[in-house]
Amino acid sequence: MGGRIRTIALTVGCMLLVACSTVQHPSGDPWEGANRKIFWFNDEVDVHVLEPVAKGWRWALPEMVRTGFTNFFQNLGTPVVAVNQLLQGKPLQGASDTGRFLVNTIVGLGFIDPASQWGLKRHDEDFGQTLAVWGVPGGPYLVIPLLGPSNARDLTGLVVDTAMSITPFFVDGWILTTARVVQTVNARSGVIDRVREVKAASLDYYSAVRNGYQQRRAAAIRDDLDVTPATEENELYYPGEELKPQ
Amino acid sequence: MKTGILMRAALAAAILTGGAGAATTTGEGAGPRAVVEQVSSQVLDVLGRKDLNSEQKRKKVEEIVYAYTDFDVLTRLVLAQNYKKFSDAQLAAFTNEFKRHLSVTYGRNVESYHNEKVQTIGDHEEARGDWTVNTKILRGGGNEDVLVDYRLRKSGDQWKVIDMIIERVSLVSNFRSQFQDMLASGTPDQLIRLLHEKNEKGEPLKANGKA
Repeated sequence: MGGRIRTIALTVGCMLLVACSTVQHPSGDPWEGANRKIFWFNDEVDVHVLEPVAKGWRWALPEMVRTGFTNFFQNLGTPVVAVNQLLQGKPLQGASDTGRFLVNTIVGLGFIDPASQWGLKRHDEDFGQTLAVWGVPGGPYLVIPLLGPSNARDLTGLVVDTAMSITPFFVDGWILTTARVVQTVNARSGVIDRVREVKAASLDYYSAVRNGYQQRRAAAIRDDLDVTPATEENELYYPGEELKPQ
Repeated sequence: MKTGILMRAALAAAILTGGAGAATTTGEGAGPRAVVEQVSSQVLDVLGRKDLNSEQKRKKVEEIVYAYTDFDVLTRLVLAQNYKKFSDAQLAAFTNEFKRHLSVTYGRNVESYHNEKVQTIGDHEEARGDWTVNTKILRGGGNEDVLVDYRLRKSGDQWKVIDMIIERVSLVSNFRSQFQDMLASGTPDQLIRLLHEKNEKGEPLKANGKA
């Protein structure tokens, strides 16, 4: 009960963030000062705690086991993906993801992913994307302590997705906490080289991550329809020679 | 939140910017798709050679990539509005350091080549005659493929690469936003110096961009 009220309060709060920030900012980042501080705090935690632990994890466990964990947590999240497909008016994909969930839970026990071999592709959907499909703008860019890049809309989505996800009430809190830690470490262990690469390739790591987040989200929202929005397209012409907005 | 796949962006980038090249000249007037296929196959050839060490491979890939990339356009695109703030000498210095930056950071990946293959999966024309060629790096062994798109623009009678989009992240857009932030509070000379220092070190500056 208390949980539900908290969720609603959080959601309303996040929506307000979106609402009161309709003023256009060039990089979509009006709170850059605060965001940068949190970003570098997160980076400290990552460099000193998460990355070393993730390295140990990668060293200690064979790839098959790590993939198993990835599959397991992805599978747990699939019902939420399916719900979001429905909310976005994509019942066929929703059905496909429901099928994935059943197949991988029953045949794969969550840890292996036979559904992919059977042609049921994994989709990436969340409530932030659903809101975008409904026409809600991203709002200001946010860096969340310990969670990383987001924006007002996607944070709202995260709160709603979390409320929707399966957290069996009969499982002890410490087990859920452990699961969350395992999920985080395991996910981090899969991107060790990539993060190092982005750090090496960037001159302003903060801006590079913000831009990467914005581009990836935009692509996820349009589901890779091969349509480049005019704003992004314009980055490929010289200033003053841009295309007219559609 | 879990973006998963990007990991091998590194390799993709090596293919565009990394190192070496038995730069055979392309047939004049080759189409954009053919250009991308030629570059990929030449680069993969080099990466697969056993008689070259990493440094030699990097050099050769670099030659190939330089021959097919339009760095003047690239410079204008990444600097955008700030382009006007650069004198000719500063532009030349910037282009030079930026090229080196791409080589230094991505060239390392020459060593992590594990028999990846490149498959061209499509191409289409963009507004105003640019061309996008979609490719996929096949990593094999149950690893997820990496999507890499190239954007080409015709320069004279040759198609040249002006942007690379790795797993939906455009390098031009990404560098543009970094340079915008840096030039909002700094000068062209400071940016060139930072690039230069980073290139000299050959690895990321520990505290760069920290504010």
